[in-house]
Amino acid sequence: MGSTMYLAVSLNIASAAGQAGLTFAEIAGFVRKVEAAGIDMVVISDSMDERSSSPFEATTLLAALATVTERIGLVASASTLAHQPYNLARRFASLDIISHGRIGWNATMRQNPREAANFSRPEGIADDDFRRRAEEFIGIVQGLWRGWDADALLFDKAAGRFHDPEKMHLLDHKGEFFSVRGPLNVARSPQDMPVLVMSGLAAADLDFGARVADVILVKGKSPTDAKAACDDLKRRVSPAGRTPDAVKVLMTVAATPELATNRLEDWFSAESCDGLNIALPADLSAFDDFTDRLLPALQRRGLVRSIHHGTTLREHLGLGAGGGQ
Amino acid sequence: MSARQMKLGLFLWATGHHIAAWRHPDAHVTAGIDIEHYIKLTRTAEAAKFDMIFCEDAAGLREANINIARQTSRSIGFEPISLLSVLAAQTERIGLVSTASTSYNEPYGLARAFASLDNLSGGRAGWNLVTSASPIEAANFGSTGLRPHADRYERAREFATVITSLWHRKAAGHDGQSFSVRDPLDIPPSPQGAPVMVQAGASDDGKDLAARTADVVFSAAQTLEEAKAFYDDLKGRLAAYGRQPDDVKIMPGVAPTVAATKAEAQAKYDALQELIPDDVGVALLSSYLSISDLWRYPIDGPLPELPESEGMKSRQALVIEQARRDGLSIRDLARYFAGARGHWRVVGTADQIADELQARFEGGAADGFNVMPSWFPGELDAFATMVVPELQRRGLFRKDYEGRTLREHLGLKRPV
Repeated sequence: MGSTMYLAVSLNIASAAGQAGLTFAEIAGFVRKVEAAGIDMVVISDSMDERSSSPFEATTLLAALATVTERIGLVASASTLAHQPYNLARRFASLDIISHGRIGWNATMRQNPREAANFSRPEGIADDDFRRRAEEFIGIVQGLWRGWDADALLFDKAAGRFHDPEKMHLLDHKGEFFSVRGPLNVARSPQDMPVLVMSGLAAADLDFGARVADVILVKGKSPTDAKAACDDLKRRVSPAGRTPDAVKVLMTVAATPELATNRLEDWFSAESCDGLNIALPADLSAFDDFTDRLLPALQRRGLVRSIHHGTTLREHLGLGAGGGQ
Repeated sequence: MSARQMKLGLFLWATGHHIAAWRHPDAHVTAGIDIEHYIKLTRTAEAAKFDMIFCEDAAGLREANINIARQTSRSIGFEPISLLSVLAAQTERIGLVSTASTSYNEPYGLARAFASLDNLSGGRAGWNLVTSASPIEAANFGSTGLRPHADRYERAREFATVITSLWHRKAAGHDGQSFSVRDPLDIPPSPQGAPVMVQAGASDDGKDLAARTADVVFSAAQTLEEAKAFYDDLKGRLAAYGRQPDDVKIMPGVAPTVAATKAEAQAKYDALQELIPDDVGVALLSSYLSISDLWRYPIDGPLPELPESEGMKSRQALVIEQARRDGLSIRDLARYFAGARGHWRVVGTADQIADELQARFEGGAADGFNVMPSWFPGELDAFATMVVPELQRRGLFRKDYEGRTLREHLGLKRPV
């Protein structure tokens, strides 16, 4: 692992305690601020876990943020229960084109009972079924993202050839839970595939995550715990035919008031993972504290980059073309 | 100045509404992957004080036959909810409406997405309710076949009931035939209270559903008489649902080609017609007629007898009626249809087009129009700079926005 770490900020807009809810301008201001500080990506949660005060659903918010930022990666959570794989694959492929290659999908493997109750499954889904269904769902989405070759569009007005049919591929998926013919009616995205972020992994999900994810978010109690979890995941990556570097493991730490520079530095110095995902409450004073005080201190110590390395999220994170080949 | 003013929507469609639009020398051929194109078009419409832009949608390819699909620009584009979210952040006043299907979505999820869009835009969002009639779409959602027309509408009615209850903060909890929802919506209401409800179905089922739930109805009609018959029919159905005629705005589609002289406008239109390959024209016509083997019939012969479809009933009837009335061959009909998919085409000067629009508006056949430029950006620019000022001079269209929200633009009541 390098001497600097990847850094994500996770923003739970629904948690705005005691506020009427953030405006788009406030959220945009915050994201621009962490972009200026060189943060690799911002993760917008959309849990529907509890009564929310957020006026925005995550993927729509992401689209709007994409046009008011230039470099930072933008990741939104979207549930496999609340969407159909074809629709979700379309939404994220479209977002990736809109953002010129800065989009990621945070696919949680954790079932949310409130979603089942609002999405016509009052009986819920058994955990094991949910897992197999989520795996099938994610496979379909990644398959749809590969449906058009990067050079499929010809735009040949004179000869009347818009695209090359040889470079458009049907998915023809028929599985236990879904059947999806494809192809997607959205072009190949600038990153080839939006970044697949996975979170909420249980022990039974680890091999799957190691096979298909680009980024895995893991909750860490201490740098030592984090190292064990990260090493375990990296061991599972090679048997899936990928290099350990193809999957970045970010530890999720919560930016509580006591998360001072020194304590955060412990995490960086231990180099126990590829980077950190810092969960910030949607509270403007916490943002300011983080961007104005904590980040500059970490940058001064050379622990965090202050510029983006490339233009796409994959480039920021040193990722290849995408998992699940 | 006329007390009543017309409403104008801009129907966006990638390179344009004409099937050969993408081949026009000045058409923006990379529209399907260029977000700046859409931002620019929407800002043009906003500067011209349009009430709204409108995006159609299909969750699948438009055309199954690869040899046809490759000759059109319609196989790729932006997913409209993400597209409108961008436009919400990049514009100030214009309404933002998109189609989303009741066949392959869940009401809670769609209610959240449109409520979010409504908040992002400060109360400018609208949803066009459709049912999906395409087997290509069905194959992407695990269905073994297309649902019959009546079943699609049964599901759509329940969908509309659930989504409006969620938006209007009516009692939570729904346990129905197709959907169950336990909680109230977890997104707070926008300044316009709830997104505007739009519908386009013209079958009996479609008109009843629109009379019950729609704020705006898009329609297709060739003649003033057809348009007026539809207008009177739909407005007549409102009373049964306790609604006033003015609660629903009826906006037929119109595909204008405008130039300084009538001859110049006709020449512009003819040049586009020359760019349609025969097989593409026949395939487009086939899809709206829900017939797969129209190409087997002689292209210069008449339309064969067709069975009633489970697809788009109303559009099929419209096309057949027109073919019989005007004695059109398959080729004639295909070429006519390629211009605007069965919508009303007007070719002429700004004055002539304004005359035609005024006649339908004042003749009780329309509350406004959904404008369908044949290619972008050229025909939109021409409409915005030539026809809109003429309508304004005549007092038929606003010179500036009076309100902030789409409901205010359209003169619709805020939901209670």
